Amino acid sequence: MRVTQSMLTNNMLRSLTNSYHKLGKYQEQLSSQKKISRPSDDPVVVFKGITYRTSVNDVSQYQKNMSEVNVWLENTEDALEKAGSSIHRLSELITQANTGTVTDDDRKKIDDEIEEIKKQLVSVANTKISGKYIFNGTDIYNAPVKYDGTTITTNYNNEAVNIEVSAGIQLQVNYLGSNVFGDGTNGMFVDLKALQDELKNGNDPDLGKFIDAFQGHLNTVTSARSSIGASMNRVDMIQNRLDSQEIIATKTMSENEDIDVEKVILNLQIQQSIHRAALSVGSSIIQPSLVDFLR
Amino acid sequence: MRPTFMGLETARRGMFTQQSALYITGHNISNANTPGFSRQRVNFQPTIPYPGNGINRPYMPGQMGTGVEAGSIQRIRDSFIDARYRSESNQLGYYGARSDALTRMEDVMNEPTSEGLSAAMDNFWNSLQTLGTNPNVSGARESVLAQGNAMADTFNYLSTTLNSIRNDLKQSISVNVDKINTLAYQINEINKQIGQVEPHGDLPNDLYDERDRLVDELSQLVNIKVTNQQSGGMPSPIAEGTYKIEILDHSGKSMGTLVDKNTIGGEPNKISYKMNNDGYVESLSIGNGSPVKVEDFSKGALRSDIEAYGYVDKSGKQVGTYPDMVDQLDKLAFALVKEYNAIHRTGFDLNGNDNKDFFQDLSDYKGAASKISVAISDPNEIAASLIDTNGKGNGDNAYKLADVLRKDLSEFVAVIKDPITGNDIDLKDYTQTNLKMTGNIKSFYGGLITSLGVKTREANTLTNNTLTLLDSVDRQRQSVSGVSLDEEMSNLIRFQHAYNASARNITVLDEMLDKIINGMGTVGR
Repeated sequence: MRVTQSMLTNNMLRSLTNSYHKLGKYQEQLSSQKKISRPSDDPVVVFKGITYRTSVNDVSQYQKNMSEVNVWLENTEDALEKAGSSIHRLSELITQANTGTVTDDDRKKIDDEIEEIKKQLVSVANTKISGKYIFNGTDIYNAPVKYDGTTITTNYNNEAVNIEVSAGIQLQVNYLGSNVFGDGTNGMFVDLKALQDELKNGNDPDLGKFIDAFQGHLNTVTSARSSIGASMNRVDMIQNRLDSQEIIATKTMSENEDIDVEKVILNLQIQQSIHRAALSVGSSIIQPSLVDFLR
Repeated sequence: MRPTFMGLETARRGMFTQQSALYITGHNISNANTPGFSRQRVNFQPTIPYPGNGINRPYMPGQMGTGVEAGSIQRIRDSFIDARYRSESNQLGYYGARSDALTRMEDVMNEPTSEGLSAAMDNFWNSLQTLGTNPNVSGARESVLAQGNAMADTFNYLSTTLNSIRNDLKQSISVNVDKINTLAYQINEINKQIGQVEPHGDLPNDLYDERDRLVDELSQLVNIKVTNQQSGGMPSPIAEGTYKIEILDHSGKSMGTLVDKNTIGGEPNKISYKMNNDGYVESLSIGNGSPVKVEDFSKGALRSDIEAYGYVDKSGKQVGTYPDMVDQLDKLAFALVKEYNAIHRTGFDLNGNDNKDFFQDLSDYKGAASKISVAISDPNEIAASLIDTNGKGNGDNAYKLADVLRKDLSEFVAVIKDPITGNDIDLKDYTQTNLKMTGNIKSFYGGLITSLGVKTREANTLTNNTLTLLDSVDRQRQSVSGVSLDEEMSNLIRFQHAYNASARNITVLDEMLDKIINGMGTVGR
């Protein structure tokens, strides 16, 4: 085959271009840390990538939802704990007022304290977190219990507030106030009213029935707390599952599309030496021609 | 008897001819880097020997040579390699243009990144989930509105950009057709000049080169077949004649002639194309020939541009890489808007109202991706709740809305008006039967990107393969026709020495004649 100067130079140019192309590819991979930058690089990796990215995205969103679940449950549990200790104090006061040695004056003082506890219970029933009444179902902007100083009116909404924590799984995060505090016909506030009426009557009233009644209310609050505790356990389990899902999803995504840095650096090094070799070959193929030797 | 001065003439011929060879060597060296140039050589041939045949020929032993002449000046070229070069160049033209068009589409789709449509849909889903969790928080509502707008904008952007690239392709089709016609015109002109030179027995080598360069260029655009047609008059036996250029269809059959002997006097046959009312290429024709469907047309850059731009196929359907992608995005946007609105209408906003569309309603899927837009502007009108009164804390509908992006198309609940019959029809049936969609919104889109990736990869691979083949053919061609400076230099010396020797021959003859004229017959003086 007849080989001419221009064939050699063309050939060298072509291999230099190829070499630059490969160098560029490795540099792009190193700077983006991804094997692929466009669908044609590897259609299969891209398709899987779109799916895996969605799962990583979804898991991290569910984790955000999860923290909101915790806000609800922890605040409800905290509020119920306060209600519990208030009722506990109430029981003590009732027992104290029920002894025969108490004077009407003392009863008056006890009644005053009960009044304060009542206000405390009303405020617990109207607990607000970030602007929402947590014991009023979905009617979050209206207080469920209203106290004008003499009478208590209740108006509970009993709808569930749900938060999605996994695809298709929703948790009810609110505890219905009507279940704990009762409504206008029976429940804590009705009993409180009756108690205060009895105390005001004087004449050494028999408060024994109230001791039982408030013991019952304390039990309601305790069982509500334990049911929230159970929910929290479930939440913890879901949380753990989400955590491991996140690790798995991120790992799968990374295995699919992230580069093996060592490998790419090594390839880049190899390509650099090839490139240098190509350049040095280039400098030697542009040889002096016969012209240089003729006088 | 041989003539006295014959030797002088022989030597003179030697000098003359060597001189021409030196000039041609100079021509080769000057054109060493001219594209399309083939090296030329002088075909030396001995002149008619003395004496010639005839009844009066002198009686002498044998014929005596009378020197040399330049028989012809020929270019060194292998037409078989040219044919191979053109067939590879045609493939490269087709796949190169295809790869360009698909790569541009990849650039527009911009996947996988955090800015593409896929990311926009994920962000929208995230905002809806956050809304479900915090249905009363105005920030969450604003975010749904913003992400909804962002997603709609992404759809609009993709649709608009794909269509504007499509317009560029339309331009490219017309440019390519013009280019074919201009090349045909130029080749026709050169044919004409060649036809004027050749009858006198000359070889217009540089015109041949120029014509071959133009034919190479033409071969990128359409698949052609080149046949030589002999010129009239007294052409040299190695004259190449005029070119007849035919366009071949996909199976290698001739579809018509662009240029031949008959077009020399006038215009070459022109390629033209026809578009239908929707702007799709319907057919192409050569000269006055009958129109040909795009699928039957010759491969090459022109065909590739038409395929990307859109054409009417044999069954009458309008297809094309770009319109198909826009069409798929339309379907996606349509299914999304219809189902999303249906779910949105069942929910209640912060004011307790239902039956409101979130996206502007669409009547037909065509153009959905360019029309999709958010209909509401007040974030309080997002129907996040499933409870009408006192339901502000309920976010169940927001979760259902988020689920539109995740659930399978077969679980879609919306009922739409059939765009053709106007009857009520289930969206899930419509998408599956009429729009041929499967999976969910996200996987359908993933499928689009994957098939784009596969097509682009194929086109890129074939482009690289044909490029390698073309390079190899080009090397062979260079090996035959390329100018080697070393070779030219050694020729230069060869011819120079021969020239010098011929000159020396004249000196010798001069001395000989001097002896005859001035030295002889001095005896009686």
